[in-house]
Amino acid sequence: MTIRRVLIFAPTLVILFLLQSYLWVPTYEDQTRGNPNRLNEYITASIGDASILNPILSADSASSDINSMVFEGLIDRDEELRFRGRLATSWEIYEEAFFYVNEDSNIPGLGIAGAEEVIVFLQKAKTQDYPTNPELQASLSNIQEISIVPAREFSVTRHEQKKEDDTVPAEVKIRVSAPARIKLGLGRVDQDLFQNLSHILGNEYFSSFNGQSFITVDYEQWQSKRTAYAEGILPAIEHNPIVVFNLRSNVKFHDGHTFDSNDVKFTYEAIMNPKNLSPRVPDYEPVKRVEVVDPLSVRIIYKRLYSPALGTWGMGILPEHLLNDDVLRKEAARLGKDPDKFSMRQSSFNRNPVGCGPFVFQEWKSDQYIILDSFDDYWEGPPNYKRYIYRIVPDLLTQEMEFYAGTVDSYNVQPHQVDRLKDDPKYQSFSGPSFGYTYIGYNMRREPFRDPRVRRALGMAIDVEKIIKYVLYGQGERITGPFVKETDYYDQAIQPVSYDPQKALQLLGEAGWKRNKEGWLEKDGRRLQFTLITNNGNDLRKAVLAIAQDAWKQIGVDVRTDLLEWSVFIQERVDKADFDALILGWSMGIEPDLYQIWHSSQTNPHQLNFVAFNSSEADDLIIKIRQEYDHERQVAYCHRLHEIIAREQPYTFLYVTKWTAVLDERIVIKEVNADGDVVYKKITPTKTGNYSFYFNKWIKLPEVPSFALEG
Amino acid sequence: MMRDAADTVTPGFQVDDPVAPQQGFGQLLKQNRLAMIGLAVFVVFFCIALLGLGLTSGRNPTFDPAVVRLQEKLRPPLSKPNLETLSTEEVPRLGVYLFGTDDLGRDVFARMLQGAWVSLTVGFVAVGISVFIGIFMGGIAGYFGQSHTSIDTLIMRFVDIMLCFPSFFLILTVVALLPASMYNIMIVIGLTSWMGTTRFVRAEFLSLREQDFVTAARALGVSNFRIIFRHMIPNAMAPVLVSATIGIATAILTEAGLSFLGFGVPPPHATWGGILSDGKRFIFDAPWLTFAPGFAILIVVLSFNLFGEGLRDILNPKLRERQG
Amino acid sequence: MLSFIGRSIVQKTITLFFVSVVSFLIIHLAPGAPSQVDPLNPKFTPEMVERFRKEFHLDEPLHIQYTYFYRDLLTGKTVSWKDNQSVLGKIWERFLNSLPLFIVGTIITWTLSFPIGIRSAIFRGGLYDRSATFFSYLLISIPGFFFAYILIIFVVTQFHVPVIGLKTFGIGDAAWPRLFMDRVWHLLLPSILGATGGIAILSRYVRSQMLEVEGQDYVRTARAKGVPEEQVHYKHALRNALLPFVTMFGLILPGLIGGSVIIESIFSWPGMGRMAFEAILARDYPVILTVNFISAVLVLAGTFVSDLLYLVVDPRIRL
Repeated sequence: MTIRRVLIFAPTLVILFLLQSYLWVPTYEDQTRGNPNRLNEYITASIGDASILNPILSADSASSDINSMVFEGLIDRDEELRFRGRLATSWEIYEEAFFYVNEDSNIPGLGIAGAEEVIVFLQKAKTQDYPTNPELQASLSNIQEISIVPAREFSVTRHEQKKEDDTVPAEVKIRVSAPARIKLGLGRVDQDLFQNLSHILGNEYFSSFNGQSFITVDYEQWQSKRTAYAEGILPAIEHNPIVVFNLRSNVKFHDGHTFDSNDVKFTYEAIMNPKNLSPRVPDYEPVKRVEVVDPLSVRIIYKRLYSPALGTWGMGILPEHLLNDDVLRKEAARLGKDPDKFSMRQSSFNRNPVGCGPFVFQEWKSDQYIILDSFDDYWEGPPNYKRYIYRIVPDLLTQEMEFYAGTVDSYNVQPHQVDRLKDDPKYQSFSGPSFGYTYIGYNMRREPFRDPRVRRALGMAIDVEKIIKYVLYGQGERITGPFVKETDYYDQAIQPVSYDPQKALQLLGEAGWKRNKEGWLEKDGRRLQFTLITNNGNDLRKAVLAIAQDAWKQIGVDVRTDLLEWSVFIQERVDKADFDALILGWSMGIEPDLYQIWHSSQTNPHQLNFVAFNSSEADDLIIKIRQEYDHERQVAYCHRLHEIIAREQPYTFLYVTKWTAVLDERIVIKEVNADGDVVYKKITPTKTGNYSFYFNKWIKLPEVPSFALEG
Repeated sequence: MMRDAADTVTPGFQVDDPVAPQQGFGQLLKQNRLAMIGLAVFVVFFCIALLGLGLTSGRNPTFDPAVVRLQEKLRPPLSKPNLETLSTEEVPRLGVYLFGTDDLGRDVFARMLQGAWVSLTVGFVAVGISVFIGIFMGGIAGYFGQSHTSIDTLIMRFVDIMLCFPSFFLILTVVALLPASMYNIMIVIGLTSWMGTTRFVRAEFLSLREQDFVTAARALGVSNFRIIFRHMIPNAMAPVLVSATIGIATAILTEAGLSFLGFGVPPPHATWGGILSDGKRFIFDAPWLTFAPGFAILIVVLSFNLFGEGLRDILNPKLRERQG
Repeated sequence: MLSFIGRSIVQKTITLFFVSVVSFLIIHLAPGAPSQVDPLNPKFTPEMVERFRKEFHLDEPLHIQYTYFYRDLLTGKTVSWKDNQSVLGKIWERFLNSLPLFIVGTIITWTLSFPIGIRSAIFRGGLYDRSATFFSYLLISIPGFFFAYILIIFVVTQFHVPVIGLKTFGIGDAAWPRLFMDRVWHLLLPSILGATGGIAILSRYVRSQMLEVEGQDYVRTARAKGVPEEQVHYKHALRNALLPFVTMFGLILPGLIGGSVIIESIFSWPGMGRMAFEAILARDYPVILTVNFISAVLVLAGTFVSDLLYLVVDPRIRL
């Protein structure tokens, strides 16, 4: 019977054909032995795909992983997290400060004075000694140049909405006749300059400057806004910090075009171009302008004191010649799109990036892989690996499987696996604390969290050590404040809140909460009851949620819990500050700028101080920190701020997780020493725990090498 | 008066009715061993779930699935608790971790007990919703279809529209967009799976309304409402029952799939799917966290399926007549 | 016949219109907004979110948004919010990835189901039948991801070969038969997993069709005439039992754009399912709606084709 035979043979054949394919697939050992090229490739895996390969537009971690390989910034951070030149060889920071001559104010010992007189007065002051006021002395000696900006007249146009729903704003003409201004050239940035100068110019000299009297507003309707206009147009004092970068010569983009200062200026302008919707705008908003001094130096002038600004120049520099207006217009024309609406966001550049980083973009298959090849003309010499492959493997368990099968070279170990993989002779492992912490935040708009004793007591009731030991499998460290633990901004001397339920009950008792017959805490007949929420999809937070609930129940707090989907959690609860307490994490930058998360002005809906932390002392320090360019002083301010936050306990700071990564044992550092010999070294992490700092020198060997002992 | 007449008339018709499922049902079921096993497991599971509900809820449950014992995490099945580090309330009731503990030291056995009830509820409520809608829509379309074609068309077009959505995706989209809760999941699964029931209830009704007992009831002036509920639905129930049984199995699997993607029933409710997908991270270090719920789901879903299949065989008159 | 086709097309177009409205409403009325800008990212300001809303027409009334969207879709100009790629281009790329999986899965399903189902029907009630029933239900009763993990772990720990993704990474420039076989190997596990449900259901269906046909008079007659048992089964019964399966070819069509999220995520297979899932997570409305629209078109086309096939193979039906 043919039909019968077909029915039996067909499936057998299909199955046999499928199964025999096994014989063709390389095993873990074969992959490097059978294919020498495999040694020149580094394969890594990520959960998510990149979205846009343009450093000024990307906002996700996968995209920035790739962007950091393809693009290069002016500076980055070295082994010790200090700034290090990349495309810039060196830089200097100084300041120009301005103030308007105030002819309404009496200068002690001089009286009412015009511009010329003030300059003479200041120059004389520079030569004098102020033994009682060393800060003033320091500020004065920092002044290197004093000059006059003559009085001038100009007009400004502002756009105002008459009513909420106005679509076309009204134009408001403002005529300004600005008085003369004094310009002070400073050797270093000095945020206390004017405060110190007021000791000799008179306490009221700056604050009593009446900008309003110098402006005229055309329409009666907008008179009420004169004060605001005056502050914006004629600020009594102004700090203009200036950064000058000297650029590296002869650096090439991947297409062979030479990098110069125009590219830096272009990158800045692209970020600020509203059409591009760059998420980096807030970083660069304080920039007043970028000036090209010559092809290898660029001057950046800031509107105000903003010390985190320097770090923003780690941003990858875009090639101006591939993205300027002409090119984009041509591309729009080719695609048949409206050139006026076409922006960098739509450009095909974002899927075929060209930068001057160590790796050249080759290919991107969505949700599969991104391939980069080493850049032979890289200014620091080409990386050892010929190819960098970034695979997208969304499931962690399959990532692990791929690592075991040898088709991924590194694996980020989950905490519970560390013990199993750390000592496996096939792999080398690295670990260190991450730049992010998990906390329980209390909504201080609501009772009972207004009382710091309650917040502290709730923190005391939770055994964080136990969470670290059992939930994180020991792969975590306690943290006491909002700075990155490896930096010196973090004050190591501050002790974490200790686990002590008895003390917690006592503190709660002081705050008026007593246990009732059933064991619940009560105050004025009301139970201590609130809801603790977090987002779903994060196992650690889920575990902390369960533990906190359990621990608080033990001391008689009636806690409900709720897990919410991320966008609902953020938009409905966090943004609207509609929560009692929540578990969340912040990932931190190295910069110690805490303005958005901790300043009391940031407590409105959609802002990040959603717990409503409010301390004038802290506000003051936060401002000082972001205006201070001197590292030592910044550290001192940070330690004070850290102490305040640790005292107030707006959050119960829980832990920073430790990451652990494993690599194939055969991956080593390959260097050529002074004699021209190739030397292999074991990969060692830097002080701050960054094991991939020397990634460009990595290479995979066919066998595990034996290293000579290093003296 | 009329009503009485109708009441006495119908049973007579039902005996003659070719699709009446009652006759020889038990006997046939006994002959189908797989279906019997399925039924047995189903009954046992139902009892366990009920028992689980009793034992794991309340302020002081016998088996507390929520007790976190971090010092006792990832203990293998049948291991004894370390009495020194536990307070008396924390010691598991049986003196042993029957199915081991999870990554927070919760007793997997207690969680499975609690999960049994939740999984069952998800399955039953979802299928209940879908059966209810299915019978309602199918009934209306089938019964009034002939006289009011527009109603029939409207309902059937709506079914067509709903069938255009890939069901798992529809569920996923809605569940992902809505806040996570057990009720949302049950309702969404129910609301997206009634189309099949509607179609065959309608077909069943179309043929039933031409049958003698319906014509007779109508001739006697029995109200439409009564005809539908007293006479037609009981006779159309057989295929509904089959698809409902299998529907429960599918709903349990769907919930497990949603859990895998992170959209399952949120805590504090434990479901088997949830335990399974939470446990998969520990598959090398604590395989019982995957295998206990995995096999539990497998056995229960299998028993539902086999029972449903047996029912289908028994209730299919064409196949039945040859068996005797 | 022609009038049937005409009526069908009109009817299906109307259905399609309603599908597009319903899916549009579901997506837009659900809570939460596109996560184009992560609201918790300190780098995003409310003004930027506002600008994105304008860019995506989210500030317009729903019916305007609807016309914008479907105008773009029908002219092929829809772009994803996530990466500004053309949605149709993305779908085509994913479709090409999902296609081999779909083909191999379908081949496995169809070649295996028939022998299993037919044999079960012939030996109805016997050991073979019962174990086939049991195993096919076993296969559809295992939670898919549980089964997948067990298989993967088994293969990787026992054989030390990669199974994830479209091909072995770093296999380099091996000879083409090797590259080809490597791809086949990577297809094996996911397509088996995808086929299990199909095998179970289809073989059951084959079985019941066979049983039904075997009870028919002409089969009895053939048997009574003394035709050998085998010939009765495979010639008389099977041919007639196969008829309804012809119509099932139409119903396979929607499978082209379906694709299991779960299997694709586990095997990191860059297929349709995963793209749709990620679009849902990112609330990338254009992608979700386009996938939905295309799948609705395929479902409708599929039923249309199967209706047509039914007309062709079954002469009793005349419309």
